Amino acid sequence: MSEYRFDRLKVLVVDDNVHMRKLVTTILQAFGVTQIAEAESADRAWQSLRDSNPDVIVLDWVMEGMSGLELVRMIRSNPQAPNPFVPVIMLSGHTSLDHVRQARDAGVNEFIAKPVSVKTMMSRLVSAIEHPRPYVRTGSYFGPCRRRRNIHEYQGPERRSEQSRQAAE
Amino acid sequence: MARKQPIELFMPPNMLKAKVGGGQGGLDMAAMKRAEDAMQALEGEFGDWIAKDVEALTSARARYAKTSDVAARHALLRAAHDIKGQAPTFNYPLIARVACSLSRMIGELPPEADIPLHLVDAHVNAIMVIHKHKMQDTNDKTAQALCAKLDARVDDVLATAKK
Repeated sequence: MSEYRFDRLKVLVVDDNVHMRKLVTTILQAFGVTQIAEAESADRAWQSLRDSNPDVIVLDWVMEGMSGLELVRMIRSNPQAPNPFVPVIMLSGHTSLDHVRQARDAGVNEFIAKPVSVKTMMSRLVSAIEHPRPYVRTGSYFGPCRRRRNIHEYQGPERRSEQSRQAAE
Repeated sequence: MARKQPIELFMPPNMLKAKVGGGQGGLDMAAMKRAEDAMQALEGEFGDWIAKDVEALTSARARYAKTSDVAARHALLRAAHDIKGQAPTFNYPLIARVACSLSRMIGELPPEADIPLHLVDAHVNAIMVIHKHKMQDTNDKTAQALCAKLDARVDDVLATAKK
């Protein structure tokens, strides 16, 4: 039993589907989160980031206009982003390994393949709290270290350089 | 060869942990129980929600049938993708399975290839039937056979398009 003080968290939920937003906010409220901001597009989310400065963002991938992936890249790399370290939990109907890699490479911290369940939402939230990844800055990437689960996939020199990453993949 | 830019690896302060505490880690079972109860209370609305998703899909299909341009194609893919992701949450896994087949076809067809409307219709009609009859059991033999047939037709279309 852990008894987190979820009531102290500020969460931004970004999804262009009103029903999914309601579902996610219902789960978060039941966890005890009281400060929940909602945005129905990535553009709106970008606008509201500076006002709400959330502790966690729960973000859909496929949306009209800017995609969730593009928003994550902006959060990580745009100098106007209020907190480039903010943990992002991405929700997606995409379930292939390739899509998970794309999300990881954009700077997503945690990934939830739909359908959304209470257990998955809790475990990703707890993972963001208890097992944060180190951050890495290379010439072409800034964000959570992409090797938390695959630290042994490449053992050559300059393991984190872009060329080595491509060689490993 | 010298690196052009050094690679920085660092651990920022864990602000989340500082805020929410929770000494032992692990899942908060009491919070999960509350959330499961809240989800159950919400289930009464799932029927309306899936109906709206089905409506959005049929509208996107009608739009594509009228004008098969890039925007209509994108809207159709969006509707199929949305319903694929949401239907299992709303207790309609069979709808998700059919929508998965539809979004695979639209998403994997080369942009220059036409989407066969008769096969779009076969998917949309199947989704409407599953919804109308509230078929939520994934073991339904007829539904399984239908899904397998749709998958096979999509495989054929994709194989032909990629030749």
